Amino acid sequence: MSQNPNDTAIKQLLDLTISRAGEVILGKEQAIRLSLACLLARGHLLIEDLPGVGKTTLAHLLARLLGLKHQRIQFTSDMLPADIIGVSIYDRTEGVFHFHPGPVFSQLVLADEINRATPKAQSALLEAMEERQVTTEGETRRLPEPFFVIATQNPAHQIGTFPLPESQLDRFLMRIELGYPDPHSERQLLKGRERRELLEDLEPALNLDQLRKLQASVDRVHVSDAILDYCQAILEFSRTTQRFNHGLSPRAGLGLLRGARAWALMEGRFQVLPEDIQAVLPATVGHRLHSTADTGVDEGQSLARYLLESVAIP
Amino acid sequence: MIPDPKRKLSQRELLFLIALLCLSVGPHVLHLQPWISAFFIGMVTLRLLGLSRPALLPGRFLLFLLTIAGLANALAHYPLMFGREAGVALLTSMLALKLLEMKRERDIYVVVYLSLFTLITQFLYRQEMLLVVYVFLVVTGLIAMLMHTNMMRSPSRPTGLLVRSGGLLLQALPLMLIMFFLFPRFSSPLWDLGIRDNRAVTGISDNISPGSVSRLSRSRAVAFRVDFDQDRIPEPARRYWRGPVLWDTDGRQWTAGDQIPERASDFFASGKPVDYSVILEPTGGKWLFALDLPHQVPTEASLEADFQLIHRGPQKRRFQYRTSSYLNYNTGALSEFQRFRGLQLPDNITPRMISLVAQWRGGSDSALVDQALAYFNEQPFHYTLYPALLGDNPADQFLFDSRQGFCEHYATSFTLLMRIAGIPARVVAGYQGGEVNPISGHLVVRQSDAHAWSEVWLPDLGWVRIDPTAAVAPERIEQPLDLDRISEEIGAPIDFVPVDISFVGALMEQFNWSMDALDASWHRWVLGYSKKRQSKLMDLLGLGFLKGSQLVYAMVGITAVAVTLMTLALIYRGRPKPNPVQAQYQRFSNRLKKLGLQRRSYEGPRDYGRRILHRRPDLRGQVEPILRLYIGIRYGRMNNLANLRRLKQMVGGFRP
Repeated sequence: MSQNPNDTAIKQLLDLTISRAGEVILGKEQAIRLSLACLLARGHLLIEDLPGVGKTTLAHLLARLLGLKHQRIQFTSDMLPADIIGVSIYDRTEGVFHFHPGPVFSQLVLADEINRATPKAQSALLEAMEERQVTTEGETRRLPEPFFVIATQNPAHQIGTFPLPESQLDRFLMRIELGYPDPHSERQLLKGRERRELLEDLEPALNLDQLRKLQASVDRVHVSDAILDYCQAILEFSRTTQRFNHGLSPRAGLGLLRGARAWALMEGRFQVLPEDIQAVLPATVGHRLHSTADTGVDEGQSLARYLLESVAIP
Repeated sequence: MIPDPKRKLSQRELLFLIALLCLSVGPHVLHLQPWISAFFIGMVTLRLLGLSRPALLPGRFLLFLLTIAGLANALAHYPLMFGREAGVALLTSMLALKLLEMKRERDIYVVVYLSLFTLITQFLYRQEMLLVVYVFLVVTGLIAMLMHTNMMRSPSRPTGLLVRSGGLLLQALPLMLIMFFLFPRFSSPLWDLGIRDNRAVTGISDNISPGSVSRLSRSRAVAFRVDFDQDRIPEPARRYWRGPVLWDTDGRQWTAGDQIPERASDFFASGKPVDYSVILEPTGGKWLFALDLPHQVPTEASLEADFQLIHRGPQKRRFQYRTSSYLNYNTGALSEFQRFRGLQLPDNITPRMISLVAQWRGGSDSALVDQALAYFNEQPFHYTLYPALLGDNPADQFLFDSRQGFCEHYATSFTLLMRIAGIPARVVAGYQGGEVNPISGHLVVRQSDAHAWSEVWLPDLGWVRIDPTAAVAPERIEQPLDLDRISEEIGAPIDFVPVDISFVGALMEQFNWSMDALDASWHRWVLGYSKKRQSKLMDLLGLGFLKGSQLVYAMVGITAVAVTLMTLALIYRGRPKPNPVQAQYQRFSNRLKKLGLQRRSYEGPRDYGRRILHRRPDLRGQVEPILRLYIGIRYGRMNNLANLRRLKQMVGGFRP
């Protein structure tokens, strides 16, 4: 496997980014890698976990590391779509309406506690996420490039939450969970400085140009027929097994491949291996799968695991 | 194009269809009533003309009239509309009319199925091998036609279709064989439903008059074929195939007369008996031919006191039997009845015949026989296939005037002379000699080998065979007649000097022998597969307990199993084959199986490698390059033959 100097540089750059992030979020390398892969694959990221495990910190961290202009939207139950998209305000001196862009008009949107808002407000994000454009009052406005949404949410069983509709969940490339830190990391966390301060001191690891190049590199990662076979086998299995309510969508398949490509790139490889698919599989399909035996508990991870172990690599 | 029953046929399709139909009906045209054949040929001609000039094709009304005409034609010749001939005639006429209304794709099916049916009816007339080959070829064409109809989406060339259809038929061969061997045979043949075998060649009959055997001898047709056990074929001079024994004569004709009301007596025999089986061509006669002297009686036959083997009914179809003969024998004493009949004389004995015999008297009976033979040998007797016509007293004329004749002349006059001398004598008709087929080793006896000889009873020897022909033309006994070289001139002597055979002649002979061998096996193994043989085969296969309807069940069962097996084989052959890279990877994994390190189905190559090295770090040098190459080929851009070969090599050398 030949590697040109450029490719080595990419690996170094990504390793640097990951190690920087690791200084802030301790012992969560896998989550960091996944979220980075998600962004490299031009996907939106959903971070789901209990309050206080560092969801927002991770979101902020990514925004800073990638050197993107970011805005935070704290979702609440009384939120209106205009609070996200922006409003047109009448200018009395000029006698015309001026559009005041909402927080969605930034390179990176941190949608904090997205499931606290009503479906109406949530759906305001829908168009923005998929189409990368916003239409208000009959006018379509393009969103900046790149455009990422990193949303955080509390587990659905928490009080005062509106579970995201499936259509919206499908628009997130990945959903990751953070979980409690391990004892060693937690000890360091407790001993160390306040995370916010660390974040403010953090230098961006990438600039916009580098990010764009990395994203372009993701597209160059080779996907062989064998990988396509594997990917299709997974989709096929998810659609035929009795265990899932419904199978994975073609969009999920596309997302899986894009995620795997980004993951391979982060490993410094320009070819996707079955392991890359497997690495991103739980994060990519976990929020899209539902068990037929609806227990009310989110089983995304275990379903993904079942899927992974059921499908033989062709 | 999508198969559409209403689609109009193209010129080409029509042409093929007409050709196939003609081929299916063809052989019938030769033996049907000329008017039926003429009707068929006329309709085909009209149809062919219609290809270039559609205006010539009859309209509905005319077609109706033609149909009436065809029916009338068939009815006129077979008024009862019953039996094989009538059925085939009607079928042929109607097929001819079908030709005229072939227009749409639907007609292909009708014509093909009717043609298949017509082909079967060919077997009602003949069952020889060449016909089977012919039918097979035509069926191939018909199946190709069906395939063509169903493959309109991707039309292929006629030759390609023929090859595929031939392949299909060959695939059906095993099933055909199962059904052939297991289909219940009936004691009476299936074909005997009012079917006459008009191919029977007249063979030796129970009366001989001058000229009757020589007439027979002009035919090259096979009389019977013989298979000797262990290929112990007697020398030509001992190949006397005994047929009817003739006792009575009116001076012109010899007949068998009434049956001797005695049972076949035991005879003294020496030497080993010769065992053989005979396939007798249909002759219409009732004799089964056997070497002198038969001692074993085939089933459905009886052995008379004068050692003729007589079958229960006339032979109208090929018939196979086994028997056994002693070549050295002594029939012992003579019954009074036989002595009486063996000495009867006709009214037209002339004085010169009596005086001729009188010259020889004085010695023993056997000395007299020798003198009589010497007479034939020394006097200018000619052996000819075309003797001059003889008058009212053929024996006298032959002995003293014409002196040219065929075996029947010699045998009858010799027998007469012996009777005059007071030695009991009789004429035996049958065949002498036969040629060994060098290909299959069986003996072929033809009608041209028909022969007649005498038997005289001598006090110590019993009935002794005396062949006066041998005294005149000893070559006749050693070699068969070469009909090509016999002059048809009256009284021309038969030339027995062998000629050098040219290369082409040798080839032709070789070919003829091969065809003869094939024909013999065809009868032995296919047409002669009788109920008896079937049960023998079943016993051999350990299936002897299957009887009657059980055979049908066995046939259905075996067929079902065979079809299932073939289907499974097809599925197996059509299964997705692992690509060569995966095959090598699988081999690699299998090598690690015994270490308990078999790859899990969902395990990627890197994970697998990690797991192997975790357990067996010592294998790093081998495992890593293999996996790296595998990943490169399978998931990277290194998929080429050279790399594949290298992988094969590396995996081949990997022995953990």
